[in-house]
Amino acid sequence: MTVTAARRRETRRTGDGPSDATRFSTHMAATVHILLVDDDPAEDVILRALMRKVTSYAIELHYVETVEAALAFIRASGAKLDMILMDNRLQPQADFRETVPELRRAGYIGPVGVISSSISDAYFQKIDDYGVDFRIDKAELDPTAIEFILQEYVNRQVNTGE
Amino acid sequence: MPVLTKHYRRYDFESDLEKALNRVDFFRIFHTMALRHGFDHFGVLHLTNEHETSPLASRLVLHDLPAGLAETYDKRHRLNDSALFRSFYRSTIPTVWRADDAADEGGADFTGQIGFDLILSIPVHAVNGTRYVVLFLGDGEDISRTKHLEIAYEANCAFDYFHRQVLANKAGMGLTPRETEILRWISYGKTASEIALIVSVSEHTVNSHTATILKKLDVVNRTQMVAKAIREQIIQ
Repeated sequence: MTVTAARRRETRRTGDGPSDATRFSTHMAATVHILLVDDDPAEDVILRALMRKVTSYAIELHYVETVEAALAFIRASGAKLDMILMDNRLQPQADFRETVPELRRAGYIGPVGVISSSISDAYFQKIDDYGVDFRIDKAELDPTAIEFILQEYVNRQVNTGE
Repeated sequence: MPVLTKHYRRYDFESDLEKALNRVDFFRIFHTMALRHGFDHFGVLHLTNEHETSPLASRLVLHDLPAGLAETYDKRHRLNDSALFRSFYRSTIPTVWRADDAADEGGADFTGQIGFDLILSIPVHAVNGTRYVVLFLGDGEDISRTKHLEIAYEANCAFDYFHRQVLANKAGMGLTPRETEILRWISYGKTASEIALIVSVSEHTVNSHTATILKKLDVVNRTQMVAKAIREQIIQ
Protein backbone atom coordinates (compact mmCIF):
# COMPACT_ATOMS: atom_id res chain seq x y z
CA MET A 1 0.00 0.00 0.00
CA THR A 2 1.31 3.44 -0.87
CA VAL A 3 1.79 6.28 1.59
CA THR A 4 -1.18 8.02 -0.05
CA ALA A 5 -3.35 4.97 0.33
CA ALA A 6 -2.34 4.61 3.95
CA ARG A 7 -3.14 8.26 4.56
CA ARG A 8 -6.53 7.95 2.92
CA ARG A 9 -7.43 4.79 4.82
CA GLU A 10 -6.51 6.66 7.98
CA THR A 11 -8.63 9.63 6.87
CA ARG A 12 -11.60 7.31 6.29
CA ARG A 13 -11.17 5.83 9.73
CA THR A 14 -10.25 8.70 11.99
CA GLY A 15 -9.01 11.98 10.63
CA ASP A 16 -10.59 14.56 8.41
CA GLY A 17 -12.95 12.09 6.84
CA PRO A 18 -15.91 10.42 8.48
CA SER A 19 -14.87 8.92 11.78
CA ASP A 20 -15.95 5.52 13.05
CA ALA A 21 -17.35 7.16 16.13
CA THR A 22 -19.64 9.36 14.03
CA ARG A 23 -20.29 6.68 11.48
CA PHE A 24 -21.46 4.07 13.93
CA SER A 25 -23.09 6.18 16.56
CA THR A 26 -26.58 5.64 15.21
CA HIS A 27 -26.24 1.87 15.09
CA MET A 28 -24.55 0.93 18.32
CA ALA A 29 -27.55 1.48 20.54
CA ALA A 30 -29.26 -1.89 20.21
CA THR A 31 -27.85 -5.38 20.06
CA VAL A 32 -28.89 -7.45 17.06
CA HIS A 33 -29.80 -11.04 17.89
CA ILE A 34 -29.16 -13.59 15.14
CA LEU A 35 -29.85 -17.30 15.38
CA LEU A 36 -27.67 -19.60 13.29
CA VAL A 37 -29.13 -23.04 12.57
CA ASP A 38 -26.45 -25.33 11.16
CA ASP A 39 -25.52 -28.94 11.86
CA ASP A 40 -21.83 -28.15 11.46
CA PRO A 41 -20.42 -26.42 14.56
CA ALA A 42 -17.49 -25.21 12.44
CA GLU A 43 -19.90 -22.83 10.69
CA ASP A 44 -20.73 -21.29 14.06
CA VAL A 45 -17.02 -20.67 14.66
CA ILE A 46 -16.54 -19.17 11.18
CA LEU A 47 -19.63 -16.98 11.34
CA ARG A 48 -18.78 -15.81 14.85
CA ALA A 49 -15.34 -14.71 13.60
CA LEU A 50 -16.96 -12.87 10.66
CA MET A 51 -19.48 -11.15 12.89
CA ARG A 52 -16.72 -9.88 15.16
CA LYS A 53 -15.45 -7.90 12.17
CA VAL A 54 -18.79 -6.13 11.74
CA THR A 55 -18.14 -2.95 13.66
CA SER A 56 -21.34 -1.03 12.98
CA TYR A 57 -23.63 -3.40 14.88
CA ALA A 58 -23.36 -5.16 18.21
CA ILE A 59 -24.28 -8.70 17.18
CA GLU A 60 -25.18 -11.51 19.51
CA LEU A 61 -25.02 -14.78 17.63
CA HIS A 62 -27.02 -17.69 19.03
CA TYR A 63 -26.36 -21.15 17.68
CA VAL A 64 -28.39 -24.35 17.46
CA GLU A 65 -27.81 -27.47 15.36
CA THR A 66 -31.33 -28.59 14.45
CA VAL A 67 -34.70 -27.21 13.43
CA GLU A 68 -36.21 -28.69 16.58
CA ALA A 69 -33.72 -26.76 18.70
CA ALA A 70 -34.49 -23.62 16.68
CA LEU A 71 -38.21 -24.07 17.31
CA ALA A 72 -37.52 -24.54 21.02
CA PHE A 73 -35.37 -21.39 20.97
CA ILE A 74 -38.13 -19.38 19.29
CA ARG A 75 -40.77 -20.59 21.73
CA ALA A 76 -38.60 -20.18 24.82
CA SER A 77 -36.77 -17.03 23.97
CA GLY A 78 -38.11 -13.93 25.63
CA ALA A 79 -35.58 -11.76 23.84
CA LYS A 80 -36.37 -10.54 20.36
CA LEU A 81 -34.78 -12.44 17.55
CA ASP A 82 -33.86 -10.13 14.67
CA MET A 83 -32.91 -12.71 12.08
CA ILE A 84 -32.46 -16.43 11.49
CA LEU A 85 -29.71 -17.77 9.25
CA MET A 86 -30.57 -21.27 8.20
CA ASP A 87 -28.27 -23.85 6.68
CA ASN A 88 -30.02 -25.24 3.63
CA ARG A 89 -29.59 -28.91 4.35
CA LEU A 90 -30.33 -30.07 7.87
CA GLN A 91 -30.97 -33.69 8.83
CA PRO A 92 -33.55 -35.18 8.92
CA GLN A 93 -35.26 -32.55 6.72
CA ALA A 94 -34.34 -32.26 3.04
CA ASP A 95 -33.78 -28.53 2.55
CA PHE A 96 -35.22 -25.08 3.26
CA ARG A 97 -38.53 -26.04 1.66
CA GLU A 98 -39.19 -28.24 4.69
CA THR A 99 -37.39 -26.35 7.43
CA VAL A 100 -38.38 -22.69 6.97
CA PRO A 101 -42.17 -23.32 6.86
CA GLU A 102 -41.76 -24.98 10.27
CA LEU A 103 -40.25 -21.77 11.65
CA ARG A 104 -43.14 -19.79 10.19
CA ARG A 105 -45.71 -22.19 11.62
CA ALA A 106 -44.12 -21.59 15.01
CA GLY A 107 -45.01 -17.91 14.58
CA TYR A 108 -41.63 -16.45 13.67
CA ILE A 109 -42.20 -13.45 11.38
CA GLY A 110 -38.69 -12.00 11.36
CA PRO A 111 -36.38 -12.33 8.36
CA VAL A 112 -35.00 -15.76 7.46
CA GLY A 113 -31.94 -16.13 5.23
CA VAL A 114 -30.84 -19.46 3.80
CA ILE A 115 -27.09 -20.04 3.63
CA SER A 116 -25.63 -22.81 1.57
CA SER A 117 -22.43 -23.84 -0.14
CA SER A 118 -24.37 -23.74 -3.40
CA ILE A 119 -27.46 -21.72 -4.21
CA SER A 120 -27.59 -22.53 -7.89
CA ASP A 121 -30.20 -25.32 -7.78
CA ALA A 122 -33.45 -24.38 -9.49
CA TYR A 123 -35.53 -24.60 -6.31
CA PHE A 124 -33.64 -21.62 -4.88
CA GLN A 125 -35.70 -19.51 -7.28
CA LYS A 126 -38.76 -20.37 -5.16
CA ILE A 127 -37.57 -18.90 -1.86
CA ASP A 128 -40.58 -16.55 -1.68
CA ASP A 129 -42.99 -19.48 -1.70
CA TYR A 130 -41.42 -21.00 1.40
CA GLY A 131 -41.15 -17.90 3.58
CA VAL A 132 -37.46 -17.26 2.91
CA ASP A 133 -36.34 -13.63 2.63
CA PHE A 134 -32.95 -14.07 0.97
CA ARG A 135 -30.36 -16.67 0.04
CA ILE A 136 -26.61 -16.32 0.13
CA ASP A 137 -23.69 -18.56 -0.67
CA LYS A 138 -21.50 -19.31 2.37
CA ALA A 139 -18.48 -18.18 0.35
CA GLU A 140 -20.13 -14.78 -0.17
CA LEU A 141 -20.74 -14.16 3.52
CA ASP A 142 -18.19 -11.56 4.51
CA PRO A 143 -18.48 -8.68 7.01
CA THR A 144 -19.69 -6.32 4.27
CA ALA A 145 -22.42 -8.76 3.25
CA ILE A 146 -23.53 -9.21 6.86
CA GLU A 147 -23.66 -5.45 7.35
CA PHE A 148 -25.68 -5.01 4.16
CA ILE A 149 -28.16 -7.69 5.18
CA LEU A 150 -28.61 -6.14 8.61
CA GLN A 151 -29.21 -2.74 7.05
CA GLU A 152 -31.75 -4.23 4.66
CA TYR A 153 -33.70 -6.38 7.09
CA VAL A 154 -33.18 -4.94 10.55
CA ASN A 155 -33.12 -1.19 9.94
CA ARG A 156 -34.71 -0.51 6.61
CA GLN A 157 -38.14 1.03 6.39
CA VAL A 158 -40.17 0.66 3.19
CA ASN A 159 -43.18 2.70 2.19
CA THR A 160 -46.19 0.58 3.05
CA GLY A 161 -48.74 3.34 2.80
CA GLU A 162 -49.34 3.50 6.57
CA MET B 1 -39.15 -10.59 -15.49
CA PRO B 2 -39.17 -10.55 -19.28
CA VAL B 3 -36.30 -12.58 -20.60
CA LEU B 4 -33.98 -10.88 -23.05
CA THR B 5 -33.43 -12.43 -26.41
CA LYS B 6 -30.24 -14.41 -26.70
CA HIS B 7 -28.89 -11.86 -29.14
CA TYR B 8 -28.29 -9.33 -26.40
CA ARG B 9 -26.42 -11.67 -24.11
CA ARG B 10 -22.72 -11.27 -24.49
CA TYR B 11 -21.56 -11.85 -20.94
CA ASP B 12 -20.56 -14.86 -18.94
CA PHE B 13 -22.56 -14.17 -15.80
CA GLU B 14 -25.99 -14.20 -17.41
CA SER B 15 -27.29 -17.00 -15.24
CA ASP B 16 -26.61 -15.00 -12.05
CA LEU B 17 -28.46 -12.04 -13.51
CA GLU B 18 -31.35 -14.13 -14.79
CA LYS B 19 -31.74 -15.71 -11.35
CA ALA B 20 -31.50 -12.52 -9.30
CA LEU B 21 -34.72 -11.97 -7.34
CA ASN B 22 -34.20 -9.18 -4.84
CA ARG B 23 -31.87 -6.49 -3.50
CA VAL B 24 -29.69 -9.00 -1.67
CA ASP B 25 -29.06 -10.85 -4.93
CA PHE B 26 -28.05 -7.63 -6.69
CA PHE B 27 -25.90 -6.67 -3.71
CA ARG B 28 -24.14 -10.04 -4.14
CA ILE B 29 -23.62 -9.42 -7.86
CA PHE B 30 -22.25 -5.86 -7.54
CA HIS B 31 -20.22 -6.64 -4.41
CA THR B 32 -18.57 -9.65 -6.07
CA MET B 33 -17.96 -7.58 -9.19
CA ALA B 34 -16.18 -4.90 -7.13
CA LEU B 35 -13.96 -7.42 -5.36
CA ARG B 36 -13.19 -9.30 -8.57
CA HIS B 37 -11.85 -6.13 -10.17
CA GLY B 38 -9.78 -5.03 -7.19
CA PHE B 39 -12.19 -2.54 -5.60
CA ASP B 40 -13.52 -2.65 -2.05
CA HIS B 41 -17.01 -1.18 -2.44
CA PHE B 42 -19.71 -0.20 -4.90
CA GLY B 43 -22.60 2.23 -5.01
CA VAL B 44 -25.45 2.81 -7.45
CA LEU B 45 -26.24 6.51 -7.54
CA HIS B 46 -29.47 8.03 -8.86
CA LEU B 47 -29.04 11.18 -10.98
CA THR B 48 -31.72 13.75 -11.57
CA ASN B 49 -30.95 17.20 -12.89
CA GLU B 50 -27.64 18.90 -12.24
CA HIS B 51 -29.01 21.52 -9.86
CA GLU B 52 -31.02 19.20 -7.68
CA THR B 53 -29.10 19.03 -4.39
CA SER B 54 -30.05 15.68 -2.88
CA PRO B 55 -27.39 14.35 -0.54
CA LEU B 56 -25.26 11.33 -1.36
CA ALA B 57 -27.08 9.06 1.11
CA SER B 58 -30.48 9.59 -0.49
CA ARG B 59 -29.11 9.17 -4.01
CA LEU B 60 -27.59 5.77 -3.26
CA VAL B 61 -30.19 3.20 -4.29
CA LEU B 62 -27.92 0.24 -3.53
CA HIS B 63 -24.44 0.19 -2.00
CA ASP B 64 -22.12 -1.68 0.29
CA LEU B 65 -20.33 1.29 1.84
CA PRO B 66 -19.64 1.08 5.57
CA ALA B 67 -22.75 1.98 7.58
CA GLY B 68 -23.04 5.73 8.08
CA LEU B 69 -20.23 6.70 5.69
CA ALA B 70 -22.52 8.40 3.17
CA GLU B 71 -24.43 10.21 5.94
CA THR B 72 -21.20 11.47 7.48
CA TYR B 73 -19.98 12.60 4.06
CA ASP B 74 -23.21 14.59 3.67
CA LYS B 75 -22.67 16.34 7.00
CA ARG B 76 -19.34 17.67 5.80
CA HIS B 77 -19.58 18.04 2.03
CA ARG B 78 -21.97 18.72 -0.82
CA LEU B 79 -21.95 16.08 -3.53
CA ASN B 80 -22.96 18.72 -6.10
CA ASP B 81 -19.72 20.63 -5.47
CA SER B 82 -17.51 17.69 -6.35
CA ALA B 83 -15.70 17.42 -9.67
CA LEU B 84 -16.92 13.84 -9.90
CA PHE B 85 -20.60 14.85 -9.72
CA ARG B 86 -20.18 17.74 -12.15
CA SER B 87 -18.51 15.44 -14.65
CA PHE B 88 -21.72 13.38 -14.95
CA TYR B 89 -23.35 16.34 -16.69
CA ARG B 90 -20.53 16.87 -19.16
CA SER B 91 -19.91 13.34 -20.31
CA THR B 92 -21.19 9.77 -19.97
CA ILE B 93 -17.81 8.12 -20.49
CA PRO B 94 -16.82 5.66 -17.74
CA THR B 95 -14.00 7.41 -15.87
CA VAL B 96 -11.27 6.51 -13.41
CA TRP B 97 -10.77 9.02 -10.60
CA ARG B 98 -7.59 9.15 -8.57
CA ALA B 99 -6.65 11.48 -5.78
CA ASP B 100 -5.98 14.98 -7.06
CA ASP B 101 -7.68 14.42 -10.43
CA ALA B 102 -10.33 16.85 -9.23
CA ALA B 103 -7.84 19.71 -9.43
CA ASP B 104 -7.76 19.34 -13.23
CA GLU B 105 -11.53 19.11 -13.51
CA GLY B 106 -12.57 21.94 -11.22
CA GLY B 107 -14.55 21.12 -8.10
CA ALA B 108 -13.96 19.32 -4.86
CA ASP B 109 -11.98 16.08 -4.67
CA PHE B 110 -14.60 13.40 -3.97
CA THR B 111 -11.95 10.70 -3.57
CA GLY B 112 -10.30 12.59 -0.73
CA GLN B 113 -13.59 13.60 0.85
CA ILE B 114 -14.95 10.06 0.99
CA GLY B 115 -11.53 8.59 1.74
CA PHE B 116 -10.71 6.27 -1.16
CA ASP B 117 -7.72 6.38 -3.53
CA LEU B 118 -9.40 5.10 -6.65
CA ILE B 119 -12.96 5.48 -7.90
CA LEU B 120 -14.41 4.24 -11.16
CA SER B 121 -17.62 5.95 -12.27
CA ILE B 122 -19.79 4.27 -14.88
CA PRO B 123 -22.78 6.35 -16.01
CA VAL B 124 -25.72 4.13 -16.97
CA HIS B 125 -29.35 4.66 -17.79
CA ALA B 126 -32.57 2.72 -17.59
CA VAL B 127 -34.79 1.98 -20.58
CA ASN B 128 -37.00 4.90 -19.56
CA GLY B 129 -34.01 7.24 -19.77
CA THR B 130 -33.53 7.72 -16.02
CA ARG B 131 -29.86 8.23 -15.26
CA TYR B 132 -27.76 6.43 -12.67
CA VAL B 133 -24.05 6.01 -12.01
CA VAL B 134 -22.41 2.81 -10.81
CA LEU B 135 -19.42 3.68 -8.63
CA PHE B 136 -16.63 1.33 -7.62
CA LEU B 137 -14.39 2.53 -4.79
CA GLY B 138 -11.08 1.20 -3.51
CA ASP B 139 -7.51 1.95 -2.62
CA GLY B 140 -5.80 0.48 -5.69
CA GLU B 141 -3.30 2.40 -7.78
CA ASP B 142 -5.07 2.11 -11.11
CA ILE B 143 -6.89 -0.42 -13.26
CA SER B 144 -5.86 -1.74 -16.64
CA ARG B 145 -7.65 -0.82 -19.85
CA THR B 146 -8.95 -4.38 -20.17
CA LYS B 147 -10.33 -4.40 -16.62
CA HIS B 148 -11.84 -0.97 -17.22
CA LEU B 149 -13.72 -2.19 -20.29
CA GLU B 150 -14.80 -5.42 -18.61
CA ILE B 151 -16.16 -3.83 -15.46
CA ALA B 152 -17.92 -1.07 -17.42
CA TYR B 153 -19.71 -3.67 -19.52
CA GLU B 154 -20.54 -5.89 -16.56
CA ALA B 155 -21.86 -2.94 -14.55
CA ASN B 156 -24.10 -1.92 -17.45
CA CYS B 157 -25.55 -5.41 -17.70
CA ALA B 158 -26.04 -5.80 -13.95
CA PHE B 159 -27.65 -2.37 -13.68
CA ASP B 160 -30.04 -3.18 -16.52
CA TYR B 161 -31.30 -6.27 -14.68
CA PHE B 162 -31.33 -4.43 -11.33
CA HIS B 163 -33.48 -1.67 -12.74
CA ARG B 164 -35.96 -3.96 -14.45
CA GLN B 165 -36.24 -6.32 -11.49
CA VAL B 166 -36.12 -3.91 -8.53
CA LEU B 167 -36.19 -0.21 -9.42
CA ALA B 168 -38.65 0.04 -12.29
CA ASN B 169 -41.89 1.83 -11.63
CA LYS B 170 -44.36 -1.01 -11.95
CA ALA B 171 -47.50 1.10 -12.30
CA GLY B 172 -50.11 -0.64 -14.39
CA MET B 173 -48.57 -4.08 -14.09
CA GLY B 174 -50.73 -6.93 -12.86
CA LEU B 175 -50.51 -8.22 -9.31
CA THR B 176 -48.99 -11.62 -8.60
CA PRO B 177 -51.13 -14.22 -6.76
CA ARG B 178 -49.15 -13.55 -3.55
CA GLU B 179 -49.68 -9.78 -3.87
CA THR B 180 -53.39 -10.29 -4.45
CA GLU B 181 -53.56 -12.51 -1.37
CA ILE B 182 -51.85 -9.86 0.76
CA LEU B 183 -54.09 -7.14 -0.68
CA ARG B 184 -57.13 -9.19 0.32
CA TRP B 185 -55.90 -9.52 3.91
CA ILE B 186 -55.20 -5.77 4.01
CA SER B 187 -58.79 -5.19 2.90
CA TYR B 188 -59.89 -7.28 5.91
CA GLY B 189 -58.03 -4.85 8.16
CA LYS B 190 -55.12 -7.13 9.06
CA THR B 191 -51.78 -5.61 10.07
CA ALA B 192 -48.48 -6.53 8.44
CA SER B 193 -47.46 -8.76 11.34
CA GLU B 194 -50.84 -10.53 11.32
CA ILE B 195 -50.60 -11.11 7.56
CA ALA B 196 -47.05 -12.44 8.01
CA LEU B 197 -48.36 -15.04 10.46
CA ILE B 198 -51.29 -15.98 8.22
CA VAL B 199 -49.29 -16.24 4.99
CA SER B 200 -46.17 -17.79 6.62
CA VAL B 201 -43.66 -15.21 5.45
CA SER B 202 -41.70 -12.52 7.26
CA GLU B 203 -43.15 -9.14 8.13
CA HIS B 204 -40.42 -7.67 5.91
CA THR B 205 -41.75 -9.65 2.94
CA VAL B 206 -45.30 -8.46 3.61
CA ASN B 207 -44.06 -4.87 3.70
CA SER B 208 -42.11 -5.35 0.45
CA HIS B 209 -45.17 -6.79 -1.28
CA THR B 210 -47.29 -3.94 0.07
CA ALA B 211 -44.82 -1.38 -1.30
CA THR B 212 -44.96 -3.11 -4.69
CA ILE B 213 -48.77 -3.13 -4.67
CA LEU B 214 -48.75 0.63 -3.94
CA LYS B 215 -46.51 1.14 -6.98
CA LYS B 216 -48.44 -1.15 -9.28
CA LEU B 217 -51.82 0.36 -8.41
CA ASP B 218 -50.28 3.84 -8.43
CA VAL B 219 -51.77 4.78 -5.06
CA VAL B 220 -50.32 6.47 -1.99
CA ASN B 221 -51.79 4.65 1.00
CA ARG B 222 -53.55 1.46 2.06
CA THR B 223 -57.01 3.03 2.06
CA GLN B 224 -56.67 4.21 -1.52
CA MET B 225 -55.12 0.83 -2.37
CA VAL B 226 -58.16 -1.12 -1.18
CA ALA B 227 -60.62 1.36 -2.71
CA LYS B 228 -58.92 1.14 -6.10
CA ALA B 229 -58.63 -2.66 -5.91
CA ILE B 230 -62.38 -2.97 -5.30
CA ARG B 231 -63.18 -0.42 -8.01
CA GLU B 232 -61.06 -2.34 -10.50
CA GLN B 233 -62.47 -5.67 -9.29
CA ILE B 234 -59.10 -7.09 -8.27
CA ILE B 235 -60.81 -8.07 -5.01
CA GLN B 236 -64.53 -8.27 -4.16
